[in-house]
Amino acid sequence: MADEAKKKEILEKLKNAVIQYDEDACKEGAQEALDAGLDANEAIFDGLVAGMEEVGRLFEAQEYFVPEILMCADALYAGLDILKPHCQQMDLGVKGSVVIGTVEGDVHDIGKNLVKMMFDVAGFTVYDLGRDVPLDQFVEEQLRRDSELVCLSAMMTTSMVGMPKVIEKIKAKNPDCMIMIGGAPTSKELADKWGADGYAEDASNALKEAIKMVSFLKKLRDEKAGKK
Amino acid sequence: MNSRERVLRLFKGEEVDRVPCFSGMGNVTESGINKLGYKFAGIHLDAKQMADTAASTYKMFGFECGVVPVDLCVEAEALGCVINVYPHAEGILYPTIKEKLIHNEDEMEVKIPADLATRGRVPLLREAIKLLKADIGNEVAIGSYVLGPFTLAGQIMELNDLLKLSFKKADKVAKLLDVMADAIIVVAKEFEKAGTDYITVREMGATTDVLSPRVFKSLILPPLKKVISEIKIHSVLHICGKTNDIVTSMVEAGPTAISVEQKNDVAETRKKLGKDALIFGNYDPYNVLVSGDENLVRSTMRKCIDDGVSAVWPGCDIWPTVPPQNMMAMIDEIKKHGGKK
Repeated sequence: MADEAKKKEILEKLKNAVIQYDEDACKEGAQEALDAGLDANEAIFDGLVAGMEEVGRLFEAQEYFVPEILMCADALYAGLDILKPHCQQMDLGVKGSVVIGTVEGDVHDIGKNLVKMMFDVAGFTVYDLGRDVPLDQFVEEQLRRDSELVCLSAMMTTSMVGMPKVIEKIKAKNPDCMIMIGGAPTSKELADKWGADGYAEDASNALKEAIKMVSFLKKLRDEKAGKK
Repeated sequence: MNSRERVLRLFKGEEVDRVPCFSGMGNVTESGINKLGYKFAGIHLDAKQMADTAASTYKMFGFECGVVPVDLCVEAEALGCVINVYPHAEGILYPTIKEKLIHNEDEMEVKIPADLATRGRVPLLREAIKLLKADIGNEVAIGSYVLGPFTLAGQIMELNDLLKLSFKKADKVAKLLDVMADAIIVVAKEFEKAGTDYITVREMGATTDVLSPRVFKSLILPPLKKVISEIKIHSVLHICGKTNDIVTSMVEAGPTAISVEQKNDVAETRKKLGKDALIFGNYDPYNVLVSGDENLVRSTMRKCIDDGVSAVWPGCDIWPTVPPQNMMAMIDEIKKHGGKK
C-alpha cells in the first residue's frame, strides 16, 4: 500500500492534470497511481472526478468555456484509459448499462459525449450509438441490451421532436427503463410531457447533471468505505 | 404602409407605423407545405417548391417576409460536403452534413473552389429568390441567410476539434475562418444579385454559452466583420444563446440590425445599445409558438414589444408544425400592440 503522503500527492496530480487539461500529466499520474499500488477506483474518483468537479465549478463561474471542458475531458480519458482495466467492479447497488446517442437529424454530439464520459467514469457499460441515429435503433438497442437507461440527445429544435416517439416505444415495451433527454431545446416541461425521467438542457447542464450523478456515486462509495 | 415598406423603412432607420413581424431565418410551415401538396424533404431540392413554400407563410398568415433557403447546408455543400436531406423520413428532418470536408487538423488549409458560385445549390437558391421575389416581392421584403464563418467551419469539420483548436491553435483557426468568410461572401453576393432585400448572417455556433467573450472578440469578430462589410444590402447578425455580454461586439461587426434569441434580456440590451439600435427578437419559436397556447403567444409578443425590440422576430427557425392559430395570434397581437411606444 502506498503511504498517505504519496497517495495524496498522486491524487492531487491527477486532479490538477484534469483541471489544467494536461493529458500527459494525467497519463503519468495514472501510471504512478498504479505503480504505487493505489486502488484504481480511488484514483478515478478522488483524482479524475474530483478534477472534473472543479472544472464544472470553473465553467459555472464562466472561467472555463466549452473548449476548455473538451480538453479537460481528453485529459480525463487519458487517465481513465490507464486506470480502468485495473478497476475492481464496484458494488454500490448501482450497476448499469446505458444506451446513448444523438437522435436522427442531429449531428451534434458534444453534450452526449460529456454525459457518456461520466457514465464511463462511473463504470457503466455504455452502448454509444453515435449521432444522427434513426429512432427505431434506440428502441431495438434497448431491447437487445436490456439497458436500465436510455439517453437521447438533440441540440437542434429541429431534431428534438423525434424524441417522444422513441420514449413512447421504449416505455411500451419496457416500462422500467429510465429515459433521459438532453439538448439545448429540451426542458423539464417537455420531459414531463413526453414521459422522460430526466433531462439536461445543454452540454454544460448535462455535465453538471452527470457530475452530480457521479458525485452521488462517490458519496455512496465513501459512505460504504466509512462503514467498513 | 404595406409589409414591404414597413420592413424596408425600418432597415433604413425611418419611421414605421408599428413593429413588423418577420424573420430572416427559416419560417416554412407544415400547413403551407401540405396545402401546396409538397414534401418537406423535396423543397430543399426544387427552386419552385422552395419559393412557393417560403411564400405560403406570408400568404396564409400574413408573416411579413419571404425567406429562402430553408436549411443550413447550402454553403457547406457548395464547398464539397455531402448532405443528407432524409428523403424517406416520415416527419420533418432538416438536412445535415453527411460527409465533412476536413477530417483532421492537417486538412485545415482548404481552398475555395473557383466556381463556388455555381456549385451545389447556389444556382438553385438564386432561382428560388427570383421566383419568390416575382411572387410576393411587391408586398413583402425578401430575405436570405448565410452562415457565419465559425458556424460554417463547424459544419465542414468536427465541431469538437474546431472548439479545441480555437483554444490550442487559434492562428490556424483564424486562417480557416478567414477562408470561410471569403466563401460566405461569394454566396451572399449571389443572393444579392438575385434580388434579395436583406441577408441574415447566422453565427449560431459562436454563442457565449460555448465560447468566452474574449475568444469571441479575438477570433470570431474579425471574419464576421469581413463578411458583413461585403454585404451591400441590409444585413442582420444573429447569434444564439445568452448574448448580453457580446451585444456591443455584435454591433461592432457592422450589421444593419442584430438578432437575439429568448435567452437575451432585451430590455437590458436596449438600455445598453440606445434607442436607435435595431434589435430584432426574441421569442422562443418552439416552446412559445409551437407548444404554447394562444395566451402564451400573445403575452410573449407583448413582452418582446415592451422590452423594446425593433421587430418581433423568432430566436431561431420557426418549427414547421406550428399551429395555424398560434401564427394568427402572433400576428394579430403585434398588429394590436406593436404601434404603442
